[in-house]
Amino acid sequence: MQWSAFDDPVHDSQRAYRQLLSTMAEPGTVEDMLESPLRPEDAAIGAACWATLLTLCDLDTRVWLTPELAAGGLGEGLRFHTGSRLVDTPAEADFALVTPATLADPTRVFNEGSDIYPDRSTTLLVVLERLDTEGPWRLQGPGIPGFRRLGIGEGDALMSRLAANQSRFPRGLDAILTCGARLAAVPRSTRITSSRVEEADPCMSQ
Amino acid sequence: MYVAVKGGEQAIANAHRWLADRRRGSRESAELEVAQVEGQLRLAVARVMAEASLYDPELAALAIKQASGDMVEAVFLLRAYRTTLPRLAETVPLDTAAMHIERRVSATYKDIPGGQVLGPTYDYTHRLLDFLQLAKGETPTPVEAEEMLATCPQILELLDDEGLLEREADDGSEPYDITRDPPDFPVDRATRLQMLARGDEGYLLALGYSTQRGYGRNHPFAGEIRLGRVAVEIEVEECEVPMCIGEIEISECQMINQFGGSREVAPQFTRGYGLAFGHNERKTMAMALVDRALRAEELGETPTGPAQQAEFVLAHADSVESAGFVSHLKLPHYVDFQSELELLRRLRREHAARRLQPDEQPTTAPEEQQA
Amino acid sequence: MNDYSDATTGYNFAYLDEQTKRMIRRGLLKAVAIPGYQVPFGGREMPMPYGWGTGGMQLTASVLGQDDVLKVIDQGADDTTNAVSIRAFFERVAGVTTTSATAEADVIQTRHRIPEQPLRQGQILVFQVPIPEPLRFIEPSEEETRLMHALEEYGVMHVKLYEDIARHGHIATTYAYPVKVDGRYVTDPSPIPKFDNPKLHMAEALMLFGAGREKRLYAIPPYTRVESLDFEDHPFEVQQWEEPCAICGARDTFLDEVITDDRGGRMFVCSDTDYCQSRREEVA
Repeated sequence: MQWSAFDDPVHDSQRAYRQLLSTMAEPGTVEDMLESPLRPEDAAIGAACWATLLTLCDLDTRVWLTPELAAGGLGEGLRFHTGSRLVDTPAEADFALVTPATLADPTRVFNEGSDIYPDRSTTLLVVLERLDTEGPWRLQGPGIPGFRRLGIGEGDALMSRLAANQSRFPRGLDAILTCGARLAAVPRSTRITSSRVEEADPCMSQ
Repeated sequence: MYVAVKGGEQAIANAHRWLADRRRGSRESAELEVAQVEGQLRLAVARVMAEASLYDPELAALAIKQASGDMVEAVFLLRAYRTTLPRLAETVPLDTAAMHIERRVSATYKDIPGGQVLGPTYDYTHRLLDFLQLAKGETPTPVEAEEMLATCPQILELLDDEGLLEREADDGSEPYDITRDPPDFPVDRATRLQMLARGDEGYLLALGYSTQRGYGRNHPFAGEIRLGRVAVEIEVEECEVPMCIGEIEISECQMINQFGGSREVAPQFTRGYGLAFGHNERKTMAMALVDRALRAEELGETPTGPAQQAEFVLAHADSVESAGFVSHLKLPHYVDFQSELELLRRLRREHAARRLQPDEQPTTAPEEQQA
Repeated sequence: MNDYSDATTGYNFAYLDEQTKRMIRRGLLKAVAIPGYQVPFGGREMPMPYGWGTGGMQLTASVLGQDDVLKVIDQGADDTTNAVSIRAFFERVAGVTTTSATAEADVIQTRHRIPEQPLRQGQILVFQVPIPEPLRFIEPSEEETRLMHALEEYGVMHVKLYEDIARHGHIATTYAYPVKVDGRYVTDPSPIPKFDNPKLHMAEALMLFGAGREKRLYAIPPYTRVESLDFEDHPFEVQQWEEPCAICGARDTFLDEVITDDRGGRMFVCSDTDYCQSRREEVA
């Protein structure tokens, strides 16, 4: 099986984009990506991640792939279907495809934008083992009434990178989180705290 | 009883129909053909192509016809069409030195290699209305030389050899594309020239003129103005030389301006540059004046005139933008106006109350509160 | 000769090509991530004049899907000529269903108003913005205002508002009243009357702002703190009318003044035509 494009590029990418926009606007909400273009059997990324790449990337984007996710010829598939330029260092990238393990390596430096142009920063596309609304991470800030919870498995390295956004806002990293077909986002405006203590939380996780 | 106005859709459709009727004019005259506009109003066509940034004489002529001769509207029509076109290839830079010249004049030397060529110019026409054109007179065919003009060297290159003129070298960097990326002030010269090339002619003319009258004077000489056709070439894989895909008519103006120089660099003439699609001489001259004015800071001059303020000049040069924003004042502003009315009435009530009780200090003015 | 046989049908869904949509979509994600910050984008010419909603239209075209229901208002009304024109444009190039009912719409494009009926989660409100820079009338240079935002240097804005108070006893800004988004960026809410400013605060809908001529887009996500700038001794307040809407009797809506004769006769009616009509239907 090969890396496939959307069946209907115009409308499939529009639907996928609206899910991306809504998860970015409401951090901590988890959605199942409706579009699932086909991937090779040995691919290391799920449907949500591949659909995101097809939706956002083109000739004008620079993408960095962490080696551990490059299985199945992802780089070539991406270049073929989107025309994106693959770059050698994450700091050059508009989108960086990573895992929490990638982020644990402090030599991996991403572009946080500048105080004048904070938008010129890398967006992290994170591939996770787990993604749900039950975990120990508490998210607060724009897009969140009260707080939301997020579970991402072994993700301390990711969350400590994102928690650091607070100290240098408006510079920072925005993250799109994926796990199989599941999708969520944590923009730099989100304030992250960890509470290992489970609390009753009936209404905030949706 | 007041009823909210309905039927906007019908009103718009009726307005369009009436407009079409006005455009057509009296049915007793023949309808204007696009080919006639293209062939006989060619300076209008050139202006529309230049400001729309699209070289297509036929569509520019159509736009002029469709806009009933409103040039700003015609530019807008063609620009809006341009933005939907795919970008198939990028050309190599035009070589204006290799131009097939129709007109070429220099104000700096009496005689120049290749000679002065007046070409099809209005310059020395006496501006007397030609009533013969009201009747249908015959137009004589032009007197033609037996040989095509050879390509002529550019005058400024001759000065260059002597080192009298600042040298302009291609630094090979990828130019910013103003049609795809938002301007990011301050912008470099290549970007400025792009913005001026599609700038409104009247606006550039006024700004260029203002530098001549002392608002940022830069002592210009028309080093060379040339008009003619140049080849458009693209690089094709597996071909060693670029491939010619056609010719376009362009106008180019190179101004020579007063010296720059410093302790390290000997005094030299400086330059201003203008280029436009079609026969667009006035535009290119104005553009060259403004280009030079915008180089003030780079050349160590203190900006004193409006034409030297880059953000001011460039942000207001585009007629599609300026015409749109001025005309938007025609749209309803009921809500904003109502907001102002409400405040104004309140302020006037308070003002009247204060006048009736002159001894009482107004309670709302903060400076008195603090005192 | 040119061949234009497909001239009326040759446009992509929602007019913009996919590459332009992707560019705008990427910009919108950044705008949402940095609430109130103006993202520069490569605005395109639209087949309507700059200043007439080209920014809002580009945003709408980039988010709109074939199953969406679209509402377009200008001055709160669905039937003002420019609203009619923009609605007809999207019916033609995207074939979407349109509505005048606020509650039924997925995407609402607006000029100068926020609907009276509170928006719900999942709805997107797209604002047309003429001058996105709230500091522009104090400092005309883009280079300067960009730096002021970077340094969070907003003192001049307060000075301007305070000068109004000194002169008039009131802040003289009645529309496009500046707000601070999530405690960081001073942002122009577009020329909505300040009456509508409180609706921006902790709204349930996503609010997107597009300025086509100025090539800027920005966003206020749902559930975001939005404060109108004011002073302790001059707190922010909204417009009030002494009489209710002459049609539906509402006392809590923004009213348009309508001149009824040439002897000073006037009446006040809701500027939000859909809200006014639905209230009348409820009463009937």
